[in-house]
Amino acid sequence: MLKTFAGSSKASMRVAHSNGVRAAVLYRQTVLAGQFRRGMATESEELDLVVIGAGPGGYVAAIKAAQLGLKTACIDKRGPPGGTCLNVGCIPSKALLNNSHLYHEILHDTKKRGIEVGDVKLNFEQFMKAKDDAVTGLTRGIETLFKQNKVDYYKGTGKFLNAHEIEVTGNEGERSGVLKAKNIIIATGSEATPFPGVTIDEKKIVTSTGAIALEKVPEKMVIIGGGIIGLELGSVWSRLGSQVTVVEYMNAIGGAGMDAEFSKNIQRSLAKQGLKFKLGTKVLAADPSGDGVAVKVESAKGGKEETLDADVVLVAIGRRPYTEGLGLENVELDVDERGRVVIDQEYRTKYPHIRVIGDVTFGVMLAHKAEEEGIAAVEYIKNGHGHVNYGVIPSVMYTHPEVAWVGMTEEQVKEKGIAYNVGKFPFAANSRAKTNLDTEGWVKFISDKETDRILGIHIMGPNAGEMIAEGALAIEYGASSEDIARTCHAHPTLSEAFKEAAMATYGKAIHF
Amino acid sequence: MRASIVARRTPLIKFLGKRVFPAADHSPRVHSQDPHGSLPSSFVQYRLNAQQHGPLSASSSAGSRRITGSIAPAPGEFFSRNDLPPRYRYAPLDELEMEAVNSGGAF
Repeated sequence: MLKTFAGSSKASMRVAHSNGVRAAVLYRQTVLAGQFRRGMATESEELDLVVIGAGPGGYVAAIKAAQLGLKTACIDKRGPPGGTCLNVGCIPSKALLNNSHLYHEILHDTKKRGIEVGDVKLNFEQFMKAKDDAVTGLTRGIETLFKQNKVDYYKGTGKFLNAHEIEVTGNEGERSGVLKAKNIIIATGSEATPFPGVTIDEKKIVTSTGAIALEKVPEKMVIIGGGIIGLELGSVWSRLGSQVTVVEYMNAIGGAGMDAEFSKNIQRSLAKQGLKFKLGTKVLAADPSGDGVAVKVESAKGGKEETLDADVVLVAIGRRPYTEGLGLENVELDVDERGRVVIDQEYRTKYPHIRVIGDVTFGVMLAHKAEEEGIAAVEYIKNGHGHVNYGVIPSVMYTHPEVAWVGMTEEQVKEKGIAYNVGKFPFAANSRAKTNLDTEGWVKFISDKETDRILGIHIMGPNAGEMIAEGALAIEYGASSEDIARTCHAHPTLSEAFKEAAMATYGKAIHF
Repeated sequence: MRASIVARRTPLIKFLGKRVFPAADHSPRVHSQDPHGSLPSSFVQYRLNAQQHGPLSASSSAGSRRITGSIAPAPGEFFSRNDLPPRYRYAPLDELEMEAVNSGGAF
């Protein structure tokens, strides 16, 4: 280190350089351009952020980053953005659920409403096209959003070359290249977990991807797994005329997050609609060698084997993180025993500039959870803080009636030893549900006995998926059941059932 | 009577207003959804090895951590360019560049 006299050195430097410096700059910019480059850093070529994966986590992260002024690119090997959710998951299945529900209603539920219908037929081709049109419209919408927000979208496979460079191998006719980035977000999502010993061909033995693209309505369908995906798709094909049997290893349907009371009731409701359930049953094998598939099952506790015949078998036992072709080995990122990329509380891997969000890392595999993480990860990059409340991630099963919940189940509250109140209100006592002739289900609140703070909200009923948003807002802001009950809800709406359940939690409901 | 009870009631829900984020500790910790309870050692190792202007974070595993002070020079002291790594120094001029400088660009 030098000890100098401030001021004098600056002046002499200026004299020494004067014209020569300007000439040298001009010289470097013109004559030497491309010929005598001296390995200087080319900052302009480095992106602020590359997002690998354009699913709900990835595309939201990319758009948010661009909105915050980061120079951003997004890569996805599927081509159309939107990931599993938009292309082969949430969106197409909701199109099928909605239209199959309408079809089923028209077939079975019009007479009591005073509507006489003629010969009702299913135009299967158009039925599937309506789903495809919804998907295409929404995926194109994301591409438009990318353009509007100046996100550079690459349709190809992104692979780590090193911790800062991603090689993009473009899909047919698409751009390839190497992207250098200051920050990288991995948002590559998940894929269906295969069932050991059962080979998926996406024709006779299908995952959810195949189950939304069947070529005809199967006469008999066996679903391995009684979780949300299995029950939603089982509902679709059952409404269209399939004999659906759900085989579940556990003794309850709906998955781990569903309140036990609701699990039992939705099972009863779906059984009334025609779905058959084999709970506490394990699948031993699925043989597709005949015309259909022979599914061997036996009681989970052991016992007599049984063979179920099916035209189509849906394997819906869960999903696992997807990192194929990502080149994780080139950067040696940590992956746990379930294939999840290990992150810290700010979504960072061991490299602080490589973050991971959505299904490919910890937490529930839900599109809206991935979206929240996408925003939070970008805010961490830009501002140093982000926010996701993992205690307030709503879940929805889009059967009819729908089942939705947020916060803790009654079983979880009991397990934690928290003293609590429960308030319930049935849709059968709600005026709008009555007018709609759609009264199955109820709303249930669980609140802390001492403070009345809401701990969990569970809904089975029409529009439960929309109604749960109010519950999420309430829990996020620490509301009490009385806060909800003293908030005016419009009449006549289904949401009055929500308010009345809150009233029943700290006091009494009016209409029940 | 009823009205006065309602008037006295304070909602549990609070108006938060525009969010203000206090300075946070960014040292890596286990993600709330990570069931393992600890981070792999690679997280600490990377940060200890990645010396830029000091360690990347004030990690809790201070055992083997090198403590580095501020890099700012004391008042009246300045860094010499010669103290910097070569990549921060001016690149050597070649003949053609010298000629361009000397001729004021008229070549």
